[in-house]
Amino acid sequence: MEHLIEELKKEIIEVLNLEEMTPADIDENAPLFGEGLGLDSIDALELIVLLEKNYGIKLQNANEGKEIFKSVRVMAEYIKEHRTK
Amino acid sequence: MSIFIQGISQISIQQPLSEEWFDAPVIPHTIMSPSIDPDFGKYFSPMESRRMGVLIKRAIATSMDVMQKTGLNMPDAIIAGTGIGCIEPTEKFLTEMIENDEECLPPAAFSQSTHNTIAAQMALKLNCHGYNCTYAHRGTSFDSALFDAFLQFKLKKIESALVGSYDTMTENYFLMLSKLDYWKSDFCGIQQLRHSKSSGSISGSCSLSMMLSSLPSPQAWCELKDVEMFYRPTILQIKHNLNSILLRNELMLSDVDAVVMGWSGDRDNDDVYYELKEHCFKDVPLLWYKQLFGESFSASAFGTYVASVCLREGRIPKHLFFFPEDFEKVKNKPRNILVYNHFHDRDHSLILLSK
Repeated sequence: MEHLIEELKKEIIEVLNLEEMTPADIDENAPLFGEGLGLDSIDALELIVLLEKNYGIKLQNANEGKEIFKSVRVMAEYIKEHRTK
Repeated sequence: MSIFIQGISQISIQQPLSEEWFDAPVIPHTIMSPSIDPDFGKYFSPMESRRMGVLIKRAIATSMDVMQKTGLNMPDAIIAGTGIGCIEPTEKFLTEMIENDEECLPPAAFSQSTHNTIAAQMALKLNCHGYNCTYAHRGTSFDSALFDAFLQFKLKKIESALVGSYDTMTENYFLMLSKLDYWKSDFCGIQQLRHSKSSGSISGSCSLSMMLSSLPSPQAWCELKDVEMFYRPTILQIKHNLNSILLRNELMLSDVDAVVMGWSGDRDNDDVYYELKEHCFKDVPLLWYKQLFGESFSASAFGTYVASVCLREGRIPKHLFFFPEDFEKVKNKPRNILVYNHFHDRDHSLILLSK
């Protein structure tokens, strides 16, 4: 799991273009939206694309994202359970 | 209503946000010299900049710089020109579209790729709710944006405007234009661009923002007296337009201290300027600027910039004269400078600036 969290942090930094950030700057338990990283709705779309492209997970319901994107750790747990690649 | 150029800020091959090039220009040694970027951290946070392509970063940096230098923080209008717009995110989006079989497309690159939103993105950052327009008219995009601003002033719809032109060059686009002979294949120094008999020029990028205002001020660089644009003109029509512009501004050709032209080293492009020299500007000193700023769809903005700096400084440095012997002809401080631009001998523009 820790390896997946680390990998996910790197991917998030890359797809969201979080310049000047390193994986160590991201708290895996902090909220991704609002507080914490302070991401917005376009970032949510980027994360949905990331899940599909890198892990073969296609979200059927946009509301699912609210739960899945709570934090990097929650996201990693979801990926571990549902990944197809 | 008079229109004054209160200030101009640029990012290019030359030192950014400064006029150092006037006395100590950076000399391009390759056909694709990169722009020199300032520290963008002064203008936006990392969280803001992650949503901006390099073109928008440069556009906002030059806009904020000119606003700060002129003290004019809220223009009535933002009018931008661009030839190819935000090409970098466009390429990213299209490449991913091909690589991912039209699935899993990145939304941020898509939203950044629409080239005609440049002025809108600037307005969002600057919180400006006034008139907003982006002209994507290839090599006359800047001229079109300036012409729009000029008319808005004359119609008394605005009293200030932020006008600019923005284009970047990517490796891919550079290669595509190479196939159309846009660049010199045997470039060996900028002197080769003078009186060149071959096709192609050197590539550059442009981010240039200028602040216009109807209020005279001691720090104004010069006055924008007139702007004319014409389509596929004959030499007779050009002569007629030139005379009209001079007449309505109560000037004679002998009052014009210099004409800034877009000589680029490309034979086809420069032939038009040789013809203009022969028929319209025989005894007027001619200046050039693309040897310092490179060729791009927004390059004509540097013509107006160079003329404005000469008027502000009250002198013309020797390196700007296309015919070096003309340097001796300018004895006094320049008062009136014309800027002539054409794109593929189809769209022509004439701009008159005075001190």
